[in-house]
Amino acid sequence: MSGTSMIARRRSRTLATVSTLFLITWLIVAAFPFLWTVWGSFKVESDFFSRESWLNALFGVYTEMQTGAPFTGDGYYGAWITRDFWRAVVNTAIVTLCVTVISLTIGTLGGYALARSGHRYAFWILIAALVFRAMPHITLVSGYLLPFFELNIWGHLATSIVVLVAINQPFTLWMLHSFFLSIPKDLDESAMVDGCTRFQAFRWVVIPVMWPGVITTGLFSFLLAYNDFAVTAMLLSQDNQTMVPKISSFLGSIQEQGNVMFAVAAVVSATAPLFLLVMFFQRQIVSGLTAGAVKG
Amino acid sequence: MAEIRLKNVTKRWGDFVGVQKFDLDIADKEFLVLLGPSGCGKTTTMRMIAGLEDITDGEIWLGDRMVNKLEPKDRDISMVFQSYGLYPNMTVYENIRFPLKVRKVPKDQHDERVMKAAEMVELKDFLDRRPAALSGGQRQRVALARAIVREPTAFLMDEPLSNLDAKLRVSTRAQIKNLHHTLKTTTIYVTHDQIEAMTLADRVVVMNKGVVQQVGTPTDIYDKPANTFVAGFIGSPAMNLVDGELRDGVFEAGKVRVTGLPTTHNGKVTLGFRAEDATIVPEGGELSAPVYSMELLGDASMISFRVGGELVSIKAAKDYRAEIDEQVHAAIPAEICHLFDSKTGARLGA
Amino acid sequence: MPHKTFLAFILPAVIAMLLFIALPIVSVIVQSLYVEHEQVLEEVENCGPFGCTTEVRVDAEATAALKSADPLGRFNGLGTFFNRSHLAVSEIGVILADNDGLGDIAARIYNLPFYKALLFTLSYTFIVTPLGMILGFLIALSVNSVSQVLKGPVIFFSLLPMIITPLIGSLILFWMINSQGILGSALQALFNDPTLSLKASTPLTWLTLFVYGVWTAAPFSFVVFYAGLQTVPGDTLESAMIDGASRWERVRYVIIPHLGPLATFVALVQLMDNFRVFEPIVGFSAEANATSLSWLVFNDLQGESTQLFGSAAATSLLTIAGVIVLLSPVLVRTWREFSNKA
Repeated sequence: MSGTSMIARRRSRTLATVSTLFLITWLIVAAFPFLWTVWGSFKVESDFFSRESWLNALFGVYTEMQTGAPFTGDGYYGAWITRDFWRAVVNTAIVTLCVTVISLTIGTLGGYALARSGHRYAFWILIAALVFRAMPHITLVSGYLLPFFELNIWGHLATSIVVLVAINQPFTLWMLHSFFLSIPKDLDESAMVDGCTRFQAFRWVVIPVMWPGVITTGLFSFLLAYNDFAVTAMLLSQDNQTMVPKISSFLGSIQEQGNVMFAVAAVVSATAPLFLLVMFFQRQIVSGLTAGAVKG
Repeated sequence: MAEIRLKNVTKRWGDFVGVQKFDLDIADKEFLVLLGPSGCGKTTTMRMIAGLEDITDGEIWLGDRMVNKLEPKDRDISMVFQSYGLYPNMTVYENIRFPLKVRKVPKDQHDERVMKAAEMVELKDFLDRRPAALSGGQRQRVALARAIVREPTAFLMDEPLSNLDAKLRVSTRAQIKNLHHTLKTTTIYVTHDQIEAMTLADRVVVMNKGVVQQVGTPTDIYDKPANTFVAGFIGSPAMNLVDGELRDGVFEAGKVRVTGLPTTHNGKVTLGFRAEDATIVPEGGELSAPVYSMELLGDASMISFRVGGELVSIKAAKDYRAEIDEQVHAAIPAEICHLFDSKTGARLGA
Repeated sequence: MPHKTFLAFILPAVIAMLLFIALPIVSVIVQSLYVEHEQVLEEVENCGPFGCTTEVRVDAEATAALKSADPLGRFNGLGTFFNRSHLAVSEIGVILADNDGLGDIAARIYNLPFYKALLFTLSYTFIVTPLGMILGFLIALSVNSVSQVLKGPVIFFSLLPMIITPLIGSLILFWMINSQGILGSALQALFNDPTLSLKASTPLTWLTLFVYGVWTAAPFSFVVFYAGLQTVPGDTLESAMIDGASRWERVRYVIIPHLGPLATFVALVQLMDNFRVFEPIVGFSAEANATSLSWLVFNDLQGESTQLFGSAAATSLLTIAGVIVLLSPVLVRTWREFSNKA
C-alpha cells in the first residue's frame, strides 16, 4: 500500500469522525428540547423552572415534596380538565380533518387539470398560486376581519375551515400538480380511448395510482391547518378556539397564577400527534419535500 | 369496420405547424403506416384521429360520422400506446376487461371476450399478474389484448414496438401482422422505423415536418421515392444521393459520371442510386474513387467512398476485400439511377 | 384538455383562491384608505349642590352608532401610509433635516415602529435563510458520508423542529432559555452573571430569535439537499476522482453545481417563509426588543374593542409590497422564459 493512500485513508477517517460528531451534536440540538420538555411536563413548576439548580428538573425534588411522587400529571389535569383544553383538542380535530379532506378534494381536481392542460392559462394560474403562497397569512386575516364581522360569520369553526382550505390551495395545487406530472399521460389517454370520460379516467385510473401523492399532500395540508396560529387566533371566538390559540391564551392568563405547567402540558399534548406523524409518515414527508423541490 | 377519411386536417400551436393539410382516404381493412422521423407530425395525426388532440382545421370522418367534436370514448377506436398505458393497479385480466366494463358491455360476455383476446396474444398464463410483474414484451401484449377485446372500428398503434429489444421486435411484428390478417380491422400504425413500415403496411405515408411526402405501397416508395427526403429515409442503408450537373443525359459530379440518362432535363440535379443496385467492377465504371472504409456485414461487404461532401456506399459480394485508400471502380448504370431536382428535391421524369 | 373540462376541474380551487386570497387583498387595499371614526364627544353639565360643571366625555352610544352605520370608518386617502406608525414621512423629513450624524439618523429612524419591524424582518430573512441552508447542507453532506446507522435517527429527529407548530416550538425553546430554565441558567453559570437574561437586551433577543429560526429552517434544507445528493451522477463523481480531484474539489466542482437549482428553490421557499416571521415573537414574548411586519399587523388587530383596521391594512399592504419585491427576480425570470418560449 502506498503512502498517499494511507494518508487519504487517515484523512477520510478523521472526516468520518468529524461528521459523526457533528451529526450527534445536531441530533442533540434537534431532539433535546423536545425530550426535555416532555420530561419536565411531569414535574411541578418549581422543578421545571428551578431557581436553584437545573438538576431539580431531572430528579423532581419539589415534585416529590409537593405530590409525593417524582412524576405528576397535575399539569395535564389542570390544562385538560380545569382549563378545558380537551375542547380545543376536539376543535382542532374537526378543523384539521375538514381542511385536509376539502383541500385534497378540490386540490386533486385542480392539480390534475393543471398537470394535463397544455394551455397558457394553466401556467399563469400556477404563477398566481406561487404569489398567493408567498402572502403572509396575517395580512390576509386583516382583510377578512371586517367583512366577516359585517357578514356575521366571524368566530365559527366553519369560517376558519374555509379560510384555511383557501390559504392551503396554492401549495396543494403546486404539490399535486408535480405529482400528477409524474404519472404518464398515456394512462389517462388509454382510459379515455377505452371509453372513459375525463372524469372517469381521473377517478378510476389516475387516482388509484396517485394515492402516495395524495397522502403526502394530505400530510402537508394537515400540518398547515394544525400549525396555524394567525388565522385561528384571529378568526375563532373564545369557545371555538383550537389548540394553538388556546395555548397562547394560556400564556396571558396562567403565567400570573403560577400555572405555567398547564401551558407546558398543553404544549406537550399538542406536540404528541406531530411526533406520531413523523414516526409513521417519515417517508411520505421526505418525498413530499423533495417532490416539490426536484420538479419545481 | 369502416374507412377513415382525413380532409385537409391541420394542427397548429400558435405559429408552429404540427400537421399541414393532411388529406387521405384510408380504406376499410387497410393497414396504413405513418412513417417519418421524430417530430414529423405522425403521432399528432394519430392523436387527432383518436380525439386526444384538438383539430385546428379540416375534418376527420370515421365511416359516415364526422368525429371532429367527439370525445375519444365516442369514436369507437382503440389504441396501443408507446409506453402501453397499462393500469398498474389492475391485474392483466382487469386491464383487458376495462374497456368492456366502462362501455357497459353486458357482464356475461366479459369473461369469454377477455379469454379470447388473451388467447390471441398468448397471455393466458399471466391473467392474474399485475403489469409490474411482467416483462416488456408481455406488457406490450396486454396492451394489444386490451385494444382488440372490444372489436372497434379501427386500431391505432403509436410506436408499439419501440420499447422492445431487437429480437422481440421481430416476433411481435409478425404477431401484429398475423392479428391484422385474422381480425381484418382498419389499422393505423405510427413508426419511425422504415423496416416496420415496409414489412407491415398495405400503404405507407411518409411524413416530414408536418407535411405528407409520399403515399404509396411499400414497393412504390422503395422503388420510386417521390423526393430526396423519402429516398434518404427509406432503405438500409438509405439511397446514395450525389449532387451534380446534368447535360444532354450525362450526369457529372467529380468522381462520378453517368451517361445515357433518359431525360431531357439540364442543369443542377441530385442523382440517387441504391447501394445494392451498384456493383464493384475491376475497371471502368461510372465511379472511380479511393475507399473510405469497408464494413463486413456477413452477407455482404459494404464499401464506402467520399464523393463531394457525401458518403456513398456500395454493396459488394461477401468475400470482396479492399484496403482503405485503394482505388476502386463501380458500375452505376443509368437504369438504376433516380434523378431529383436539386432545389426542391422532387423526383424528375418518370 | 378542452377549456370546458379544464374549467370544470379547476373551478373549486380557483373560486376558493379568488374569494379568500385575492378578494381579501382587495379588502385590505380598501381598508387601508380608511381610518377609524373619531370618538363622538359630548358636553355634559353636571349640576350638584355646589353648582354646575361642564365636562367633555365620550358618547359611547353615538360612537357605536357611527361605527355600525359605517364600519369602514372615515376616508383618509393615503394618510395612514404616511403617518408615524407607517412610513412616517414627515418624521423622517425632520430627522434628515436636523440630526447629529449618521448614527443619530439610524437610531432615530429605528425608533419608528414600522422601520424597527422592517429592519428586524429583513435581518431575520437574510440571516436565517443562508445560515439555515448552510447548516442543512452540512448535515446532508455528513449524513451522506457516515454509516447508515445514524441516517434513520437523524432524519427522524431533524423533521421534528421543522414540522413543529412555530408557536409551540418557540415556546419550548423560550422555556429553556428562560432565566430559570436549563439553558438560561447554564448560560448564567457559564458567564458567571446571575442577572444575564436573553430577554432583557435587544441584541440577545435578536440572537435568540435567529437561533430559533435556523433551528427550524435547517431541516428543510437538509432533507432537500440530502435527496439531491442521492441524484448526483455517479459517473461524473468517479471521473472527477480519476481526474485527481480531492474530496473538497469534488464537493466544489461536482456536488455544489449539481445542487444549484435545488438551492434556488430552497432559498425561494425559505425567503417567503422567513419574511412572514411572526409566531416566534409571540412565543418568545420578544415584542419589546424585536417586532416584525406580521407582528405589527397582528398587534393592530388584537385590540379587544379598538381594532385598528386601517393601520393593520396599511402595514399589510406594505408587507405584500415587500413580498412582491422578494419574489420579483423569480417572476421576472419566469416571465422572460415564458415570453422566449412563446
